[in-house]
Amino acid sequence: MLWLGWYFPRLPLEIFGAVDESIPLAVSRRWEGKERIDRCNGAARRRGIAAGMLLSRALERTPELVVRARDAEREREALEALGGWAWRYSSRITFDPLLVLLEVGGSLRLFGGVEAMLERMEGELTRLGHRGYWAVAPTPAAAALLARVAPGRRIHHPRALEAALEPVPMERFTRNAELLELMRQTGLRTIGDCLRLPRPELARRVGPRPALLLDRLLGRAPDPRPLWRPSARFRRRLQLAAEVEHAGALRFPARRLLESLAAFLRGRDGLVQRLEWTLEHRRHPPTRFRVGAAQPTRDPDRLLQLLQLRLERLCLPAPVIELELTVPRWHPFEAGGEDLFRAAGKEGERLLERLRTRLGAEAVRGMALRADPRPERAWRFCAPGGASTPSPSPHPAQRRQPLWLLPRPRRLRQRDGLPLHGGALRLEPRCQRIQTGWWEGEEVDRDYYRAVNPAGERLWIYRDRKSGDWFLHGFFD
Amino acid sequence: MLSSGFPVLDEATGGGWPLGSLVELLSPASAGLSLLLPSLIRLSRRERWLAWVNPPWIPNAPALAARGMALAPLLWVKSGGAEGRWAVEQLLRSGGCPMVLYWPGRILPAQLRRLQLAAERGGASAVLFRPLEAAGESSTAALRLRLERVEKGLRVRVLKRRGGWHGAEVVVPCFG
Repeated sequence: MLWLGWYFPRLPLEIFGAVDESIPLAVSRRWEGKERIDRCNGAARRRGIAAGMLLSRALERTPELVVRARDAEREREALEALGGWAWRYSSRITFDPLLVLLEVGGSLRLFGGVEAMLERMEGELTRLGHRGYWAVAPTPAAAALLARVAPGRRIHHPRALEAALEPVPMERFTRNAELLELMRQTGLRTIGDCLRLPRPELARRVGPRPALLLDRLLGRAPDPRPLWRPSARFRRRLQLAAEVEHAGALRFPARRLLESLAAFLRGRDGLVQRLEWTLEHRRHPPTRFRVGAAQPTRDPDRLLQLLQLRLERLCLPAPVIELELTVPRWHPFEAGGEDLFRAAGKEGERLLERLRTRLGAEAVRGMALRADPRPERAWRFCAPGGASTPSPSPHPAQRRQPLWLLPRPRRLRQRDGLPLHGGALRLEPRCQRIQTGWWEGEEVDRDYYRAVNPAGERLWIYRDRKSGDWFLHGFFD
Repeated sequence: MLSSGFPVLDEATGGGWPLGSLVELLSPASAGLSLLLPSLIRLSRRERWLAWVNPPWIPNAPALAARGMALAPLLWVKSGGAEGRWAVEQLLRSGGCPMVLYWPGRILPAQLRRLQLAAERGGASAVLFRPLEAAGESSTAALRLRLERVEKGLRVRVLKRRGGWHGAEVVVPCFG
């Protein structure tokens, strides 16, 4: 089993739309008998606000600071929404405070390995307005702990787990003050200290519970956790950091809700046709309206456009303090219902039509791949929207090729057998040899190099092995 | 904002590429495509066009695909001058093209303003590749970056950003 832990330390802020970094925002909670700053965003930090500061002092120092009390209910809702997002990647999901844990051992192959999966997840989280930190480990408890203390760690084998966890200080493992005090007195400072003790001795010193937790952490004892089941209904609220007076300004928070809906729907392979929006006002009954799409969809851009059309006609009776999106029903996705670019719809087709009418069809093109090792023939222009015939897959070696190609290779002048382009070129030692046989048409036999000229331009050049001539074929960015 | 995929760049720009506005990348030789690559790869998986208007060379489609970009949304538009500006405006305004890459050659502040309005209307980002000299001209762009090629990637200096302090300078480890 392999668990992926996603830790969202900024979630208490993100539920108030903390992505808008221009507004200094903080959340507060009570501890040691006083209301204090729990955490804050970058805009607040730049104004000298820090966690632990007394609320009264923070407001004195930065009167424009927006402060919200930590809202456990909304945090739970948001975490569950993230569960809905993660559902796409695994059906074994469980939670810890500010953490989503998912078992990914079974789904890695489907998503092309850990790297590809994480890259994809990171991109999606950014769109959802969350910043998360991940770790991978064989037990859920270890994935959770590592995501908090050592984000980015990937431990695949239970054997490697002990070494990875040894240096973790006990106060990151538990928040139980009594237990921590007990451990401090008995000289147990890190997880390693505990593991070095014989288990009965550890249990004698600190009780059986911490010993069990350690065993679960290392996978030596089962860690039964209730697995989460997603609900069929989508409902998500977003409290706004600042009151919104113009309907147009709801675009940004609405977009976040729609991205979140899209993630929910992707996880279930569903589409929606009707959305219910609720705008909460201070001291005024909420504004409610429905927005319907002509075709079931889950494209957030399209749903946002529909909302915008509605917002343009809307008169707000009072400033908006909260936005809510509810989807009572969603439809299962049917193949062909959401074809590529059909989502852009007639509008997208008309756009292409306009461009091609004015600029000429040959000036508005798509690109596709060809199965040919010669860089100048490994691609072709095609109709916008992709080739009608299936394209070959790219070759891994093409990853090392530059992003820019010259329309055709240009012969370079030489001095002492070395190529020139805006001065003498410095060649990097590694090269890629591209050879084709005469039976493939024009025969090529080339050694490609990366080269840098005195102006710092990074060139892609090759030496024709037959003639010994040098050619410039592209530019690295 | 659309994350650039590079944490240092997101930090320096306050979150990445601003949506519904212009971005200017100023450099001596059209540098900066590799800065955009992670966002282009991500956007390419959605049902929208990604337009390249008047690029100086041929986008190396196999290299883009090998790095994970879907080619179907790629829209290559070869058109300079007033025609090119018209095309960019149409693309931005349509709402069907979240990012337009544009090599405008010479462009006047009033013409930039027009594109800015189109970008706002369509919620799209227009990324303009311009020469260094353009740094002296006024611009409505929400984000202006000066780029310089260095050994470890691109050195990025923030000349202007919205709602934040400019002047940040970072080296972004991007290659392409």
